[in-house]
Amino acid sequence: MSGALLLTIAYVLLAVFAVGFVARSVRLARLPVHLRWELAPIPHEKGKGHYGGSYLEEVDWWTKPRERSLAAELRYMLLEIVFLKAVWEHNRRLWWFSFPFHVGLYLLVGTAFLLLAVTAGGLAGLGFAGASALRNATVGIAWAGYAFGGIGAVGLLTARLSDRRLRDFTTPAALFNLVVLLAVFATGLGAVATGDYVGSLTGLLGALATGHAGVTAPAVAAAHMGVGLLFLAYLPFTPMMHFVAKYFTYHEVRWNDTPMIRGSRMEREVERLLAQPVSWAGPHLGADGKKTWVDIATQEVGK
Amino acid sequence: MSGTVLVSDISKHEGEVLSPMRLQELVPLPAPYDRLEDQPAWKELGAAARENLVCNLDGFVATSLPKPKDAAEEQAYVDRFVEGLRKLLEKENNWTFLEPLLLSLEYCVKCQTCNEACPVYMGSGEQDIYRPTYRSEVWRRLVAKYVRPGGKLLSRFTEGPIDLNFTALSRLYELCYRCTLCRRCAQACPIGIDNGLITHELRKVFSQELGWAPRELHEKGTVLQLAVGSSTGMVPQVVKDNIEFIDEDTSEETGLTVESPWDKEGADVLLIHNAGEILAWPENPAAFAIILNAAGIEWTLASDAVGYDGVNYGLFYDDFQLARIALRHVQTAKKLKVRKIVMGECGHQHKALMTIADRVLTGDLRVPRESCLPLLEQIVFSGKIEFDPSKNDFPVTLHDPCNIVRNLGIVEPQRRILRYLCPQFREMTPHGVDNYCCGGGSGFAVMSGNNFTDWRVSIGGRIKFKQILDAFADQPGPEVKKYLCAPCSNCKGQFRDMLQYYGALDRSGITYGGLVELIVNAMVDVKEPYIKWEMH
Repeated sequence: MSGALLLTIAYVLLAVFAVGFVARSVRLARLPVHLRWELAPIPHEKGKGHYGGSYLEEVDWWTKPRERSLAAELRYMLLEIVFLKAVWEHNRRLWWFSFPFHVGLYLLVGTAFLLLAVTAGGLAGLGFAGASALRNATVGIAWAGYAFGGIGAVGLLTARLSDRRLRDFTTPAALFNLVVLLAVFATGLGAVATGDYVGSLTGLLGALATGHAGVTAPAVAAAHMGVGLLFLAYLPFTPMMHFVAKYFTYHEVRWNDTPMIRGSRMEREVERLLAQPVSWAGPHLGADGKKTWVDIATQEVGK
Repeated sequence: MSGTVLVSDISKHEGEVLSPMRLQELVPLPAPYDRLEDQPAWKELGAAARENLVCNLDGFVATSLPKPKDAAEEQAYVDRFVEGLRKLLEKENNWTFLEPLLLSLEYCVKCQTCNEACPVYMGSGEQDIYRPTYRSEVWRRLVAKYVRPGGKLLSRFTEGPIDLNFTALSRLYELCYRCTLCRRCAQACPIGIDNGLITHELRKVFSQELGWAPRELHEKGTVLQLAVGSSTGMVPQVVKDNIEFIDEDTSEETGLTVESPWDKEGADVLLIHNAGEILAWPENPAAFAIILNAAGIEWTLASDAVGYDGVNYGLFYDDFQLARIALRHVQTAKKLKVRKIVMGECGHQHKALMTIADRVLTGDLRVPRESCLPLLEQIVFSGKIEFDPSKNDFPVTLHDPCNIVRNLGIVEPQRRILRYLCPQFREMTPHGVDNYCCGGGSGFAVMSGNNFTDWRVSIGGRIKFKQILDAFADQPGPEVKKYLCAPCSNCKGQFRDMLQYYGALDRSGITYGGLVELIVNAMVDVKEPYIKWEMH
């Protein structure tokens, strides 16, 4: 296959990732306001969040300023995102694999940024005293990322195939996702082990950035890049996008305890939603596709 | 069928019970409730029920779904259900919960981290059909196959195998009434997937599209409440007469003048009880009256239909019924020009009116609403009432109603009162926002048709009963009287049935009641013990 064709495929895969990622994220962000569905503990409740308390513990709460603790919220998020606290507390067996798997992914995200930085520096002709150390650190972080990720992926695959609790709920797609990721980790490890990892990867990234199709790289590094791009293109269409969804499940649902204020933007949005026609067929609703939500909620019933 | 039950099994073995329950498989209880032969046998379904009702899930019947006449009727229900699933994912029809629902639909990684958080699943001895993920997974597969474009082709790869037929539909409907919506599973989920919400939304499809809902929640619940004023059937004059009788009776017993004001315009507080209290636990509204009067609060009850009953079963199965009732509550408050509505000791009333309805009450419908618990705390520590905590010197533990604690974050006010007024107060393990549901949540406490009471007390409430016994493990015998404080009407309904089922008053000395009863019992001015050590 020609270099130009490979480059074109790479651009397409990156474009699919970018469009898919943005589209799915924007779709979540643009969903209509929903009814309150908060769930304690809500860590931003200052002085109360640590035991699950909320401002509703106050007499005349609507007359008092709402005190929020960003630090407590960040601490909660840090423990959850970095250490997978909920899995540790409720599913310890899986944590031993899920934790290294996620740590591996975090390290590889870091590696990707470092590689981009080195590539950008190289393209700009920048040289600096710590360049060698940076390249060594990149290799170290990448190695750890692939190793942790690989151990986790193998463990998760094993668990999904052998654990009775998981087996019936494991879809072919979930197994496929793990296999693809395992391929990413394995080829990455191969690239680290067999050659100039940073040189090969930054060369390929440079080719992507400049459109220069003549760049060559060891087969394993090229395979790693290829599998990695395939994974990226596929990612936005899978539940693995939960790293984005998690923002919404926590901040927009579990921790969204904002009361509606008269005259607020939220109230205007709700009034718009209440004015939409409804077509539920339940006989007690009397919906006909023309009556609005508010018509049905306010019609005299049973009198 | 028995043994492992797969998600795809829901549509198979037509006419059979999918997963029959057996007493010996349930999680064991502590002594003296550990002998299986001492535990009450489950009620067999009567011949008429077996003949006329669908019973194909676990041997219990909560929903009383009549058997369809023929295959054509079955198919019509299936088609309407698919239509309902579609509407559930539309902005126009379901803006109310679309965002949390789509998040729970599309991002679950099926790790089963939530399983062991579920008291029903754990209490049942980990039966597959009660996994919090089981019904969610059925729904996900149905949406993938029957609603999503190309679903027939792709869903097997993306979600897994499933078929939709009337067997699956009727089992799913019944299964929606095996989850108490306590949301303990949602707390455990690292991603924030909410199986409780999924159950809630499925119940909505059945109600809002097919017109299916348990009679106790719909005809005898929201419909009756909107028609006559209360799901108890009490019309305004009957409520007033009952409260007057309670006031007189309590005045006689306590020596205090107990008087409940009605329809006082401009009052500071409109107190709305769960009207079930008036009939089943009259000492509760009486205790409120004693406390509020003693503290000098300007308060009132309302005699407008619906305005005297805080019940709102719409919360459990139908957004429109919820909104209709919440509107009536707020309209009553506006008519009386009160400063705020205060919820009585009723968990789902708290959640329905304080948070869920919050975003449908626009414009001048925004009447401030608060829980009775902070108000009671303020009163207890205000110095306006003299207390003698030694009058409450018996073991007391606290049940945290899910709708007040886990869902609203009202955790400490009730505890500060109990620590002050009850020298032998002890916590359950776990407690606060990590509590276990009583097993009567999401409307179960009022659902007693067929043999469902047996399910909710022996399976749904099993972990809670174990927890209560553990809390009193230092004094297990009946010679020491113990008080289970449950500031929620529905929880009390469940505890009444549960403690009676096991004979726990006679065997362990455990009775139950609200928080206000303990407060009044500790009042110096109340000469006779207010708490009666009897099952009521």
